[in-house]
Amino acid sequence: MRHVAVVADMKLGQKGDILVTHALGSCLGLMVYDPQAQVGGLLHAMLPMSKINPEKAAANPYMFVDTGVPNLFKEIYKLGGDKKRLVVKAAGCGQPLGKNEIFKIGERNFTVLKKLLWKNNVLLEASDVGGPSGRTVHFDISTGEVQISSNGAVNPL
Amino acid sequence: MKADYLTKIMDKVDAFPSIPGSAVRLLELVDQADAPIDEIEEVLRLDPGLTANVLKLTNSAFFGLPAKVGSVKRAVMLLGLNKLKQLIMASCVNAVMDKDIPGYDLPAGELWRHSIAVSVAAEGLVRELNLDSGDDIFTAALLHDVGKLVLGQFIDEDYAALAAAAGNSVSFEIAEKEVLGTDHAEVGARILEHWALPDALVHAVRWHHNPENAEEVHPSTDIVHVANMLCLMLGIGVGREGLQYQPSPVVTRRLGLKPFHLEKLASQTIQTMGDLADVFINSETA
Ligand SMILES: [Fe+2]
Ligand SMILES: [Fe+2]
Repeated sequence: MRHVAVVADMKLGQKGDILVTHALGSCLGLMVYDPQAQVGGLLHAMLPMSKINPEKAAANPYMFVDTGVPNLFKEIYKLGGDKKRLVVKAAGCGQPLGKNEIFKIGERNFTVLKKLLWKNNVLLEASDVGGPSGRTVHFDISTGEVQISSNGAVNPL
Repeated sequence: MKADYLTKIMDKVDAFPSIPGSAVRLLELVDQADAPIDEIEEVLRLDPGLTANVLKLTNSAFFGLPAKVGSVKRAVMLLGLNKLKQLIMASCVNAVMDKDIPGYDLPAGELWRHSIAVSVAAEGLVRELNLDSGDDIFTAALLHDVGKLVLGQFIDEDYAALAAAAGNSVSFEIAEKEVLGTDHAEVGARILEHWALPDALVHAVRWHHNPENAEEVHPSTDIVHVANMLCLMLGIGVGREGLQYQPSPVVTRRLGLKPFHLEKLASQTIQTMGDLADVFINSETA
């Protein structure tokens, strides 16, 4: 089955599933995979910190990195994922040109992710982040393979 | 050759479809001091596509009405004339934006979704910053990228040259100008001039990527600039050029924009686009 995570959304998959998210701009795409249990999840989070709108975070934790990431991990554990085996990859967190701090939502998203992973002793296996490119993610839960399409080219992550 | 391109592009601008007569008539009626609802209803009756759109939007989660509305008259009463005006414009724009746009790699309907999102974000920004921008902001935002409809085909023909000019650090509209002799903002402004739309709208479209280069300062231009950048960052209507534009520090200062404004606006815009989702289904038939 093909499952599409829209903005502020998370999709889980098992063997045979493909998880997809389109048009990552400054949003974070996070792929978490357990190769043994063959389960995985794909998060498409929009903003770094839930304190900007706690009500929204309660209704939909996947809008924010600081609430979306822990929720994704919890859901993976429920499917039989084991923290020791998880392979974690990140994509997106893009940036417009120039040095305008206000528009660096992508950079803030990635910073919050790195802090969270570091605090919880989780390694970030690979990442394709930053820069002005839009990105689309295809995540194959049978194999754990991640493909990033960007600027008309497709590359494995 | 740049000069060849420019002539061909301007020929396309001249041949660009005009606003349908029923919409022009409706906009006139809505703008009258004592707008005649009966006459508005009559014009709408002759345009089933427009009527369907009015009812679809009225009944979308966006307005959260408890009961379904089936009559145009009741819809107009519930929506108010300003919303009706926006709806008429949105419907006209939808009619010209229903195709896919090669060059920018935008699938059918995606530029329309982007245009609506920028309108929603622009209105949100006006509220958030307590600005006074007049009621043209919605239309300005709706039309800001209309030039892409003309330019897309030329970009598609010469994408390699464009990609080379753009590299990874040049704002995309500058690369367009370099290769084609003009950019989608300028082309859009010319289309609006053809439609004889007000100067403030033309200004907002012409300068939406580089407002600091305009001689006059128009708040609506600054707002469209920020709202557009935000929607691209959220991945709404993000094409081949990605986020390859430069948000203006001058505008950020002028508006007094802070990171939390932008983040709050981002969450509101996504929420509203969710509420509008049912309006986008089958939008190509509208
Ligand atoms: Fe644009
Ligand atoms: Fe745009």
